[in-house]
Order: sequence, then structure tokens, then C-alpha cells
Amino acid sequence: MVKTIIINGSPRAPKSNSKQYAEIFRKYYTGETISFMINNRNHSEICDHIEGCSDIVFVFPLYADGIPSTLLNFLKTLETYQINQKPRVHILINCGFIEPEQNNVALDMMRLFCRQNRYEFSSTLAIGAGEAFLTTPLSFLVKGKIKKFAKLVASKKTEHLSVTLPLSKKSFVKASTKYWIAYGERFGCSKEQMASMKIE
Amino acid sequence: MKLLLSDTPLTIHLKKENEIYIDLSQLKISNCIGCFGCWTKTPGKCVIRDDAVKVYPMIANSEKIIYVSHVKYGSYDTIMKTMLERAIPIQQAFIRIHNNETHHVQREVKNKDAVIIAYGELSQEEKDIFTRLISRNANNMSFSSYRILFVTKEELTSTVEQEVALW
Ligand SMILES: Cc1cc2nc3c(=O)[nH]c(=O)nc-3n(C[C@H](O)[C@H](O)[C@H](O)COP(=O)(O)O)c2cc1C
Repeated sequence: MVKTIIINGSPRAPKSNSKQYAEIFRKYYTGETISFMINNRNHSEICDHIEGCSDIVFVFPLYADGIPSTLLNFLKTLETYQINQKPRVHILINCGFIEPEQNNVALDMMRLFCRQNRYEFSSTLAIGAGEAFLTTPLSFLVKGKIKKFAKLVASKKTEHLSVTLPLSKKSFVKASTKYWIAYGERFGCSKEQMASMKIE
Repeated sequence: MKLLLSDTPLTIHLKKENEIYIDLSQLKISNCIGCFGCWTKTPGKCVIRDDAVKVYPMIANSEKIIYVSHVKYGSYDTIMKTMLERAIPIQQAFIRIHNNETHHVQREVKNKDAVIIAYGELSQEEKDIFTRLISRNANNMSFSSYRILFVTKEELTSTVEQEVALW
């Protein structure tokens, strides 16, 4: 059966960028999909649904240079499950910084999980500047890449894609400063307060 | 301050006043929920008031730190990883260029000499991924130097003792 299970591994899944990226994926993907957001209570429910799927797309953010603990916990549960027909695994990862290569270590962790548990590791899309990308006038760039990724998942081909904002690092720093100042303003927090050096 | 941060109980007796040992497995630490409150609402403070709020100020304050963690899929296993994710209040939202990459501005965080004692039965591939993870962490976690020691669980206590003796 051709059915893809989309698993959102963001700790803030209901309000996550990953959710938005997954929705764009679903828009362009021609096959049938089911979607889950990992929480502490639904590991076995998700594992039950994996059996019978041809493909898994894990969608998650980079956390402290690696896989978020929410997803790590889930993978440890999945490892204990007997899945007879193992789906192919695809990854849609996003990170806050502009360099999509910062995602590479987390991708290799997922690749290792697949090798250790005999899942076929297939296509990947690494997004840089993933926190703010969809709020910019250049969001069509990331949407275009997700469309290409969706086609790969539907095909039997494997490719590794990446996309980021076409800005110099300096301009990115400037743009991100603006982004975070506006973020703080929504909570009545000034730039100076946000730049506090104090901890606790 | 010198900090020994472990994901498993260790039989170790630290002698000096500024040396601290924390066994994360005995603490109550839930996962970061990605709310960015520590950057944009209550800068420097996490909204989840569990045991993690005692730990991240100590991480910031230490100039020597030993992390002891089990390794899974080339990552810190979940206990240590959960704590490291909860440590983002020690950074600001603002981004700078550091080692020719974009990274967050740090608050009052001391540069530190880090030793990472990674245990488990690990393949070479797993060790390689973990080594790359640490070299990435070095940029975000203010390591001025770091060493990684791969050991089995049995070798853990003696390795920790040796490293603490070097303090
Ligand atoms: C605890 C935590 C750790 C993070 N670590 C990194 C990191 O190491 N590198 C990076 O580029 N972005 C990092 N980010 C930023 C997220 O990857 C980014 O905001 C992403 O868009 C979040 O996606 P989500 O909304 O799907 O969870 C981190 C965010 C949080 C909350």
C-alpha cells in the first residue's frame, strides 16, 4: 500500500514551523497521508500506524545541534516495536541559523537510526533560516523546495536537498535582529531587556 | 566554578568548595517546549520552574565542566539532551557571526574547558557522529577547549576520577 505517515517531532508541534512545513508538503504530495505530532503519551499509537505505510516523513527542528529530545524519545520507543514491512524514511528538518549544513549532524543521526534498525534512509530536505523563512517575501523559495521534496518522496528516487534565505550572513544577522525585536515587542519586552546578560 | 554533570549516579567525592557534582537522573527536568519565553518574555529565565533552572546557571558559571552521558544514535542520550535543550536561557535571541557561522549571543557565560565522557558500546560510526556533534556544540556552548573520551560503563568511575583529579 502507498501511504505516507508524517511524524512531527517538534516539541511545540501544534504551533510549530514544522507543522507549517508539513502542511506545505501535504499540499504538493500526491499520495495518501496521515499525520501525527509526537507527545509523551502517543508513542504506541504512532508506532501502530507505521505498520502498513510505505513511507515515513519525519519533520522536526534542529535542537542544540541535534535531534530534539522529544523525537529521540520516540525513536527509542519505535526501536522496540516489531514492524514487519519497514517503510522508507525521509527527513524534512529545519534550523534557526542560516546555514542549512548545520542540520547535517542531526541528519546523520537519523541515518544511523535507520541503519541500526534496518529502515531504508531515503530523501532529505534541510532548511536553513527555518524560524523566519515563511514570514519573509521569499517564502516561495522554501515552498518550491518542499514541492520538489514531495515529488521525490512520491517517486522511488533519493536526493538530498537544502534551501535557505539568499542573504549574506551579515544581512541575515540584521534581519534576524529585527525579527526578534518584533517578537519581544509582542510581549512588552524591549530590545534592551532581551539583551540582558543576567541568567535567572 | 567546576561542574561535573552526569546522567547516571557516580560514586565520587568532590573535595573543594567550588566543585559541584550533579546527577541529572535524580532531578525532575521536563523537555523544552520551544516557547522562546526565555528570550522574549522573561529574558534569561525559563518559564518551566523545575530542577533545570538550578542547573543552567551553573553551566553558565563554570570554567571547567565534565559532561558524562550515554550515547544513542550518535547523540547524547535523552537525559543529558533534555538538560542541554533547557539551557538556552543562557543565550540571547540575538544572532552574531562566530567562527564564520551564525550563532546566538551568549549572556554572562564563562568560556569553559570541557571534557565529554561518552559511554556505551559504540560503533566507530556512532563515535564519529558524536565527535562532530561536540565540535558543533563547541560553537554554541562556549567551549574554549574540549576533549572527548569514549569509555564503557565499567570504565566510567575511574575515568571520571582521573578527570576530576586534573582540576
Ligand atoms: C531548545 C532549542 C534549541 C535550538 N537549537 C538550535 C540549533 O542548535 N541550531 C539552530 O540553527 N537552531 C536551533 N533552534 C532553533 C529552531 O531550530 C528553529 O526555531 C526552528 O524553526 C523551530 O522549528 P519548530 O517550530 O518546528 O519547532 C533551537 C530552538 C530551541 C527552542
